[in-house]
This record gives sequence, structure tokens and C-alpha cells, in this order.
Amino acid sequence: MRRLVAILCLVTAGHVIPATPAQARIKLITLPVRQRVEIQLDNPHATLVEEERIVPLVKGINQVDFSWANTQIDPNTIVFRVLGRGDQQPADGQPDDEKDEPAPFEVNVLSVSYPPNEAALVWQVSAGDSGSARVRISYLLGNLTKSFNYRAVAAQDESTLTLSQYMRLQNLANESFGSTGLWAGFGKNFLKPIGINETKEMLAARHQNVPIKKTYTCNPQAYGYLDQPQNKLRVPMHYVLKNNKANQLGEAPLEYGKVRIFQQDGRGSTAFIGEDWGKFTPLDDEMQLYLGVAQDIVVKRTIETNEVHRVAGNLNNREVVIKYEIENFKDKPVTLDVAESLRHIRNEVHGDTGRDVEWQLGGKTTFQGGADKEKSTYDQVVFHADLPARDASGKAAKIVHKLHVTIKNEW
Amino acid sequence: MRHALILAIVLSTPVWSALPLAAENVDLSTVPARDTVQLTIYNSEDLTLVRETRQVSFKKGQNPLQFSWANTLIDPTSVELRFASHADELDVLDTTFPHDKPQMLYWNVQSELDGEATVEITYFTSGITWSADYLCIANREETEMGFEGFVRVYNNSGEEYENAQVRLVVGTINLVEKIAQLAQIPPQQVQALPEDRLRQLRRDSAMHFFGDESRDGVPADAKKEKEIIKEGLSEYFIYTIEGTETIANGWSKRMRSFEGQTVPFTIQYRYRPAEYGDQLVRMYLLTNNEESKLGTTPLPDGVVRVFRDNGRDGLSYLTAQSIKYVPIGDKIELNLGPDREVIFELIKLRVWRDNIWVKLNGQDVFRRVDNGNLEIDERSSVAGWDDHVLYSQRIRNYTAKPIDVEIRRSFPGHVIFRSRLEPVLFDYQTVQYSATVPAGQTADLLQEVVQRQGRNARQNNVTLEEARVDQ
Repeated sequence: MRRLVAILCLVTAGHVIPATPAQARIKLITLPVRQRVEIQLDNPHATLVEEERIVPLVKGINQVDFSWANTQIDPNTIVFRVLGRGDQQPADGQPDDEKDEPAPFEVNVLSVSYPPNEAALVWQVSAGDSGSARVRISYLLGNLTKSFNYRAVAAQDESTLTLSQYMRLQNLANESFGSTGLWAGFGKNFLKPIGINETKEMLAARHQNVPIKKTYTCNPQAYGYLDQPQNKLRVPMHYVLKNNKANQLGEAPLEYGKVRIFQQDGRGSTAFIGEDWGKFTPLDDEMQLYLGVAQDIVVKRTIETNEVHRVAGNLNNREVVIKYEIENFKDKPVTLDVAESLRHIRNEVHGDTGRDVEWQLGGKTTFQGGADKEKSTYDQVVFHADLPARDASGKAAKIVHKLHVTIKNEW
Repeated sequence: MRHALILAIVLSTPVWSALPLAAENVDLSTVPARDTVQLTIYNSEDLTLVRETRQVSFKKGQNPLQFSWANTLIDPTSVELRFASHADELDVLDTTFPHDKPQMLYWNVQSELDGEATVEITYFTSGITWSADYLCIANREETEMGFEGFVRVYNNSGEEYENAQVRLVVGTINLVEKIAQLAQIPPQQVQALPEDRLRQLRRDSAMHFFGDESRDGVPADAKKEKEIIKEGLSEYFIYTIEGTETIANGWSKRMRSFEGQTVPFTIQYRYRPAEYGDQLVRMYLLTNNEESKLGTTPLPDGVVRVFRDNGRDGLSYLTAQSIKYVPIGDKIELNLGPDREVIFELIKLRVWRDNIWVKLNGQDVFRRVDNGNLEIDERSSVAGWDDHVLYSQRIRNYTAKPIDVEIRRSFPGHVIFRSRLEPVLFDYQTVQYSATVPAGQTADLLQEVVQRQGRNARQNNVTLEEARVDQ
């Protein structure tokens, strides 16, 4: 059986409330109902509930009880504010000059008392006149949580996708809310009822025609080998979308959440092609969605040269050349991203000294255009290799690239 | 309503069996009610000084007075009786703690008076505590905030104190120092004092500070919040709640102690890993002074809860943070955590080494080798070098306002910090610098860190050098 868990009561005992809180527990009460509820979900770690009620007050001192059961209201966070008279609408859209000046209504919160062993508190409120007051009670409520998930539908040619972002509200707070305003801190405001133990999913945003890049990347340090005895690298595939305005996004950071990825199949339907956890993506950053390992691109990585040149004593420089033999068995050309961690290379050929690597690119490097300046850092270089489609006979061309690095001042 | 404290005029009891015509097992007593009670509650220790007065009728001769406190948390050695009227006609001859009744004592009062007198009983109890907390609601523009302070009194003492005048002591009571002062002995010898002597001194200390002052409860205007009067006393502040309060056993009560309607504050972003972890955090900074519409009182330790007008007829919850005692004039710093619209990245742009020295053949002879002009045999080994790392401290500000950022970064060892960031040394190994990043812009704060290693390390500190640092 459902019960109203959070109850606001106005306690009356004639016109005088006993001064001793213990005496006041025998009471006659009225139950002001909620007029408006807003749930603020903008804090990543806490949910703030704000509810407005119209509380009838008598001239003099009034006692207002607020009690709850089986909910995780943090009593220390409860804020009680008097907004004005009960018949005053806080936001009515009326022009200011047409509004009647409301009569002053003096209401003061004198104190709050907390009874022992009860999930309740009692406000002692004084009113300068009899009448109803619009009050707002705000509190943090546990077990009312939000999460995000996404549905990404890529075009058949995988050049764009439609990204739908859903906010999922899970109400395990043991309290139901009628028509309630919900706001995640960005995007639109929702007005929905939320029942006990109910999960509600709402479309927070839909972004159409978001340009994507499908990438094929090998990176021995991050992704390892598919077949190490044969030096064959693992080549994962990703969709990469950039969270900026130029790419139809960029209104807010993209929240962490599961992304289910579909692709249009050209026959009016879609096929599910995988899912990944989308990381929290600030503005201008890229969200990478892992699609699986490419089976049709084969990359063999061998360290072709490892020469030590002594500078003095045990101090030396080292020439390292890494050779990549790449075959694309797809029937369309692709670009392969070749990423290498300089520390990983040094550790392979020299051992881990714990020191940062001092290095420079050598002249035997064959990747056209050099390192990708945007994607490369001093710890990791990224090159691009354009791979032609296999030929009509099905034979894939073997593309060979070399990365030449001089590692300096090691010992 | 429940009272565990009882003062009784004993007309016949076994304790007084030595007196003529005393009965052995038949008691008769009258119970004078409590007239006034004052509670002085400390927040630094679980200690409350209770002072209560009662009207007692005395007859000439010896008058036994029984005082009992069953199921309360009163320190029995702290109970003291004083005569507030007719003091020259009344005298306590002795005090008896009966062996079979642990929470009871008898005073044997010699009276020259045949009539009514006011007695004052003081004692320490535990179980009554108080705490402070604060509520801040920033405006939408984040320029001003409402700042309200509250005090909450908890009564778990086992006794109900009705209509009590409540005084709250703000500040840490260092009882040992006061004991040392009163006893006029060096502080280091205080620990060696016997426990009963320490207790006596503690009681004397508190009595000395707060015992001589008395204030009658003032009836409050029922329509207004009670004023909480703040007064400085020695190193402490006393909050006196206007009028009287009744806090039933097991209950707690929270009252507003002050309110600042439009307290100005500034926003600063800080990177201080030692204080806030490895993240850039957003701070609200304000000062407990009159310009900030505060400063009427020090702020006792307590939790600050911070909200902001979200501009949509509602609030956003920002944080809850414990603050330590804030003296008048001191800063209040509220950490709101990281801002998702400000991205803070330390990017390593380049690494190199120079000034490399080798130790020759295990001897105490060193040669510099990184200029390439010297052939050194293989058995020599590197003994000293300088690591250079070029960093960009990148700050991306996606907010709609310019932001002020302050960065503190510590470097252990012998370090030279080169930049044009006008840094200062926060301490011998911590560099501090600031920057303003316009709205929607990115700042790249270039800096070169030279770490002198091995035999090159001659210091354990950071030296600042102004130098152009190029990527």
C-alpha cells in the first residue's frame, strides 16, 4: 500500500502553541498539499527536491510539522522559505505595472525543533496576520538518481550519425511525485509524474547529422597484439565525434553513459552494431566509441633497427627504426592511425629507467605529412597511413612504413 | 515533562540518624521547585555548566538538604551549593555522598534563619551540546549571497530544563592552560596532577570565566525571532539566546544566530593538490567583516551548505562543507568542486637533458660530456644531469564569464622554474601563479621546469627565473 511519505502539517491548538515541544506532539493538524514540485538534477552527486505548499497560518505563533518515513531526506539540508501570500502566484506572466501591490505579510521562522527518534521536524512560525502563505521547502533526497544513455544511428555510409541522448530517472526514494519539473542542469525542462520505484526515461536532446570519423588504430601500448608471435597488431575501430558546434553538438558536455550504436541498413531499417560506454566529454573534446576489432586490416610491426651510439661512459643515444607492413583486405580505401608511445618504445629496446624519454624523429620515417600535430603529444606520436582498397583480384597491396626515432641521453 | 533532578528538604532520613529523635527508615521531605535555570554550553567539549536557583525554607539549626540526579550525566564532584540570599545566616557544615545511593548527596546546612532563602546550585553535566551551521544562497549572477548562521542545541542529558536561559560558548576552551594559570604551575606539570585535582581546577576555571555573570531572562516578543546576543569575553564569544528556552530531553532546537542579506563574494578557480586534490576547483571567497555585511561575530566551526539561484525560479545545490572557526576579519573559502565548463590540462610539450656529468672510472673525478668534445671510457658512469620539461598549463574556459585561476604546484628536489607567468614562491618548493582566462577562450601557460639530478642537485628548493619559454 502506498503512503504519502513526506507530510507537511500545520498544527493548531487554539491560538497558542505550547512552548514545550513535547506537549505539542498532541495536535490537531491540517495537511497542506503540494502545489508545485521541482526536482533539480544538476548536481552530479545529489538530487534537490523543491516543493511549494500553501500553508494557512493564524495570527501569532504557528507550528508547522514536516515528517517523512522510509525516505532518505537529509534533515540537515531542509530549507524553509516563505515566498509570500498563498494567493500570490510567483510567476504569472503579468506585466509588472498591472500587478496589484500585495499587502505585506510578515512571516518569521522562529526556530526548528527536532523530536527524538522521529524523521520529522517542527518549524515555529509567527504570522503578523491570519492568512495563507506560500512556502517552499527544499531538501536533498537520496535514492532518486539520474543517468544518461545514448542511441546513435549511423548513416549507411558511416559519415554521419543521429545521436539521441536520454535521461533516465530512477525513483527508489519511496516517494511519489505528481506533475514534477525535472531539470538536468542543461537542455530542456520536463514536467512529468514520477511514481514510487518507477524509472522514467526522457529524450533530453537529439542531434541530427553529426559528422563522424570511423578510425582504425593500432597502438601496441594501448591495444596490444592480435597475434604477438607473428607481430600482428590489434586494430580496433572507433566512431569519433567531436563535441563542438561545427559538428552539430557543443551545447553542453556529453555526460557519461552507455551508447548503443546502430547503422542504417539501406532498407529502411537499422542494424545493431555494438555498444560502448561514452566517457564524459567536455566541449571541444572527442568521444570515441569502440566498435570492435577490424579483421580486414593486418598490421605487422617489427623493430628493424636498434643501434646504440655511446656518447661517453655509460651515456648513449639509440637509433630505433620500427617497420609496419600493412595490408587492407577491405574493398574500400581506409586510413590507418598508427600510434606509438615513446616510453613504450624505450622500454622495449632499453628497459624502463623511469625517466622521461628525450627523443626526436629520424630521417628514415616514411609517413607522409609527419606526425599529426593535433593528436600527438610528447609522450605519444600519431601518424596516418592511407591504405588502398584491395584490387579486383582480391589481393591487398602491402604498404610498408617506417618510424625512425632517436632516443637520446639514456643510460 | 520529566525531571531527574530533585532537591528535597529531608525531615527524617537514615543519614541523619545521629541527630536527636531521627528516624531510621521513615522519610518525609518537601521538594522545592526550580525557579530559574541557566545553561552555559561549550561546543569544544561535552560540558555544560548549569546554574539553577530554588527557594528553600529553613528553620533555625541544622537543615538536611538532599540533592539527587538519577539517570542524568552530572559530574557529582562538580555540584555546589551557594546561598543567593541570607548568605550570612546560612552555612554548609558538610556534604555527604551516601555509599548506597550513587546519584545523591546531602548538604548539612546550619541556619540562623527561620524563613525562606534563595539557594543556587551549580554543576557540570554532559549530554547538552550545540553546533553551528550556515546556509548560503548565491544570486543568479554569483555576485552576492544570503548568508545565514544557525545554532542548534541538543539535549541528551536525561534532564528537561524548562525555561532555561541558554548561553553558548564559542571558541576552543583549552582547559589545561586555564588550569595551569589557576594553579599557577608550569603547564608541563599539569598532566601529573591527580584526577580529582584536575577536575576541581577545571570547575574553578569555568566558574572563573563564566560563573560570576548572571543575566535575567528577558521575555521575547513572540512574533519575532529571538535575538542572539553575541559578546566577547576574554578569548571567547558567548551567544546568549534572548529570553528562555525549553528543550526537552532527546530534542534539539535550531535557531538563527545571524543573517547577512547581500554578502558580496568573488569566484576564484584554484589548483592546490595538497588541499583540494588533483583537480581545479571553483571557490566562493568572502570575508567575515563589516564590508561583507558580516563580521559581527566569529563564526564557530560548522557545516556550510551552499545553494545558488538557478535562474529558473529554483535553487541549485552546490556543496556542503565543514569550516573551522572563522575569526572576525578572516576569510571564508567555500570549495564548490570542479567546474565541468572549465577544462584544466597539463600538457608535456618537450623533454630534454643537458649538463650531463660522468664520474671517471669510479674515482672522485667528474667531466661534463654533453657538449660532445670529450672521449670518456666505458667504465665511467653518469653522475649528474639536468632534466628539462616544457609544459603548457592549458585552461579552456567555456563559461560565459572570464575566470581567475590560481595554480600552486610543488616540485621536490633542486628545481628551476622558468616562465613569464610572474610566479611567486608559496614555499621553498611550491610555485604559485595566476591567470585570467577570458570567456570562451583557452590559455596556454608555458613553463619550463629544470630538475637538477644526481651530483648536479645542490639544493632542495625551487628557484624562479623569468625567461621566455618557447614551444
